[in-house]
Amino acid sequence: MTQTTHTCPWCGLVSDGSTLSCLACGASIDAHAVVTNSGWSELPGRKDMAKLQFGNSFCQIEGVYVPVADMSLASGESVYFAHHVLLWKDPQVNVTTMGLKGAWKRLLSGMPLVMTQAHGPGHIAFSRDAPGEMIAMPLQSGQAVDVREHLFLVATSQITYDWFQTGIWFTTRTGNESETHYPLGMFMDRFYAPATPGLLLLHAAGNAFVRMLQPGQAILVKPTALLFKDPTVQMQLHFEHPAGTWSSWRSWGNRYLWLRLYGPGRVAVQSAYSPLEDNGRNITSHSGATEQHWG
Amino acid sequence: MKRCPKCTQTFADTETFCGFDGTKLISDSPPPQQNQIPVGTPVKTEAPHVASSPAASEPFERITCEWCQGINQKTALSCWSCGAPLDVKNLVSESGWREAPRIRDMTEIHFGLSTCQVEGEIVPAAELNLGQGDSVFFEHHVLLWKDDHTPMSVMSLQGGIKRALAGMPFIISVAHGPGRIAFSRDATGELVVLPLHPGMELDVREHAFLLASHHISYSYVRIKGLRNILFGGQGMFMDRFVTSDQPGLLLLHGYGNVFERVLRPGESIMVEPGAFLYKDSSVTMNIESQQLTTGFFGGTGMNLARMTGPGRIGIQSMYVHHHTD
Repeated sequence: MTQTTHTCPWCGLVSDGSTLSCLACGASIDAHAVVTNSGWSELPGRKDMAKLQFGNSFCQIEGVYVPVADMSLASGESVYFAHHVLLWKDPQVNVTTMGLKGAWKRLLSGMPLVMTQAHGPGHIAFSRDAPGEMIAMPLQSGQAVDVREHLFLVATSQITYDWFQTGIWFTTRTGNESETHYPLGMFMDRFYAPATPGLLLLHAAGNAFVRMLQPGQAILVKPTALLFKDPTVQMQLHFEHPAGTWSSWRSWGNRYLWLRLYGPGRVAVQSAYSPLEDNGRNITSHSGATEQHWG
Repeated sequence: MKRCPKCTQTFADTETFCGFDGTKLISDSPPPQQNQIPVGTPVKTEAPHVASSPAASEPFERITCEWCQGINQKTALSCWSCGAPLDVKNLVSESGWREAPRIRDMTEIHFGLSTCQVEGEIVPAAELNLGQGDSVFFEHHVLLWKDDHTPMSVMSLQGGIKRALAGMPFIISVAHGPGRIAFSRDATGELVVLPLHPGMELDVREHAFLLASHHISYSYVRIKGLRNILFGGQGMFMDRFVTSDQPGLLLLHGYGNVFERVLRPGESIMVEPGAFLYKDSSVTMNIESQQLTTGFFGGTGMNLARMTGPGRIGIQSMYVHHHTD
């Protein structure tokens, strides 16, 4: 008798294929990778009520338009989250706060000041406020991922939470008034599983697409569309001036602001993204950037 | 044995209303003999409302809808009175939440002499073909389109000033049959079809109701307690829909996905107040606050609604408010 194995196309978990969906990320066992001609992969199909396991706890993903992560926490296990994503909980689930470093900077940059922790045993559920996809990212020990701010839903206690300055900014000036813009936000979240594997759940607005960049390979994405990236992927600003418009480097004119991402590593984008704040005024200074003039 | 005088289906003696059209059942006396009808008297025969009615000789098998408990023909693919697919297994999470049935595109729902067709799946629309004598009421901002000859009126409401002050609709519009009219809301979500059986009371988050049939009486209940008003996420009032002796049809629109759970007597669950969609009037709701602090930098308060059974509670997974103004 031969032993059959199944390798999940999304998270790489090897299983015997006896379950309908991957226990680590919920991807359907019978789903095939859907890849565009340009190399972007859609998230693997996930059946409604797909069940994931982390430690002795479970997570069921319910719904299709605005999915809900319904967690059954085992005794001694916990998850953390920003308090505004809490949908419901059993009364006995204990909720506490988690200490965060750099509270003053987080306060100034509009990031959640309080990270909330829920301790098992009991049920607790989370959802966001926009139609989209729930992304389950099992992190293996030693693995890290950088996530754009406000997209994180919930993570297990095995994963550490940190943040770093994006270093992506530009300043505009009109008269004596100057304004600094952070197209990607001032900070990005970094999630890291130092010793033991953990589960990270993100919520993408609209659909999510993932692509693997080769070393040195670059791609331009709208900054607010970025969902996550591997820490090995580097970022910088890119200004693009289309042909037929009167514009120069430091003048009012039509321009496109891009985020240039360099491989190696994974990058993911979401299809529904907020408009980028750019008042079109003179750019007086900026972080490291490239530029393209057409015509 | 009892019989529906409208659609002629037969039911057990224990049932009071027809599972297909809600008409009060009558005793199933044997039909008059043909030779008892005077010669020349026109014989009126009404076709049953279910197209796939079984032959009289077949034993009558029925499917009970798991969502609304409506009775359906064994060949039906979707419920006659709520549109729920009958050939799809109920989706219930391990924690006991049941997903609202995902109504198939173009499914027809029946009430009185009218039909309602559910169209679309991302932001579904409810298209009504109102029969003569039937009517529905609704908030005017959910109106999508109507035939120009479909009569309209307004419903008189008590406490108009209170409603205006509380941000609730001041005017409830009524559309009368015959004619066609359609409704939809302003965000991705699900249509929740709730056929109300006689004697039911349902409390609904304000502005969440799409339409209700005329057999349902509409009022509002003031939310008690300052904390419940300030932190309950839905203002001062909730809509209340009550049926007396006749069934009615109530359509809600939930943002995102909608889930329902039945709480046992005394059982509680903590719910984000903005996620609350509807509940049986027997379910109590109280806001409880928890302060999340980080020392010097203060912190934030988290308000959750403690819902205590017995009864049903419905929630929506996308709980931000999408004001149309």
